[in-house]
Amino acid sequence: MRSEEEVHTAIERYGDTVRRLCLLRLKNHADTEDIFQTVFLKYALSTMRFDSQEHEKAWLIRVTLNACKDLLKSFFRSRTVSLEELLDQPAPEAEEKRTWVLEAVLSLPQKYRDVIYLHYYEGYTAAEIGGILKKNVNTVYTLLARARQQLKELLGGDGDEE
Amino acid sequence: MRNEIRQAFDEVHASRELKDRTRERLARRMRRGWPAAGLRPVRRGLAAAAACLVLLLAGAGGSWLYFTPTAAISIDVNPSLELEINRFDRVIGVEGYNEDGRALADQLDVNHLNYEQAVEEILNSAVIAALLARDEVVTITVTGTDDRQCGRILSEVEMETAQSPNIHCHGARQEEVESAHDCGLSYGKYRAYLELQALDPDVTLEEVQEMTMRELWERIQALSVGTQSQGQSGGHHGEHGYGHGGGH
Repeated sequence: MRSEEEVHTAIERYGDTVRRLCLLRLKNHADTEDIFQTVFLKYALSTMRFDSQEHEKAWLIRVTLNACKDLLKSFFRSRTVSLEELLDQPAPEAEEKRTWVLEAVLSLPQKYRDVIYLHYYEGYTAAEIGGILKKNVNTVYTLLARARQQLKELLGGDGDEE
Repeated sequence: MRNEIRQAFDEVHASRELKDRTRERLARRMRRGWPAAGLRPVRRGLAAAAACLVLLLAGAGGSWLYFTPTAAISIDVNPSLELEINRFDRVIGVEGYNEDGRALADQLDVNHLNYEQAVEEILNSAVIAALLARDEVVTITVTGTDDRQCGRILSEVEMETAQSPNIHCHGARQEEVESAHDCGLSYGKYRAYLELQALDPDVTLEEVQEMTMRELWERIQALSVGTQSQGQSGGHHGEHGYGHGGGH
């Protein structure tokens, strides 16, 4: 079991990452709160020793994605809200393009969303994503290629890299 | 594409409130010792599995296991009602302790639900939600014969309602609850009644039955200020000596 101090540090350090994963996976804010509690409680209870912050972060990403999967299976949750509510804020005009990109990513099928986020935002390689999602690396390559293709179509074909 | 995605997700942050609330909720668990199975979705799954198992047992003649209450959750605003909970955390009975409570109990369909879902449904019901919106005070009391179960229920209910300043949760002893029932009151109201009676011996049970919790607190507070000739700070609890936590 970890100390309160360690848990607080983890919430500060990885809160944004957990929040972004919740955005990828969940449809309302109340569920996000549940996931935060579940993930950091699991972290607090875990005796896992991490070699590095990267190791710790990858563990938390996996725990968050699994917690979201469990929650989505629960038949008690069905409420959905708009993206603006999910983001806790209205989208100002200057942010419109970013919101549009976010909407495009969120409109992809679940399996594509995960790999797009982990690869383009978190900077993981296909092999690392395979480790986190427990998928074969070739499957990850395929998912990434398809996800990129769909996203390009959604964003008007201006995708410019890998 | 990489830059656009980075910029888009860079805008998404865990708010200060979300981090603080998570910290508070975890700290509350930490103070009580971490429960072995505290993860909500997992717990729900286990509870459902337990319920299925129980149904099988019931079919095999073990229904007394399921239909014996081991804990009770008393909810008082002005509607006063009580949920009977079995050892599997399922609601097996709802009883109204005054007219409004009976009316609300009749409308509810919470039997066999997990207590958390039942409490959530009651607090979200039109009647209670309207009272909370009017700033009325809700008292939730957990009691029972199994201390561990009561402690767990109280901790969960406290956590579920932590965001509502007008909802207060307590633990109580079984004997006290029985005395409350003998007076025809649910426990939360009974405690308030005892406090009010100490300050105003003329108060009657019938009077208390029809008062809201808020009215009771206000009257107690007014009388306390009068008798103790000292100002007391706001809030509905500390000054009335209601013990927090698993007071079993």
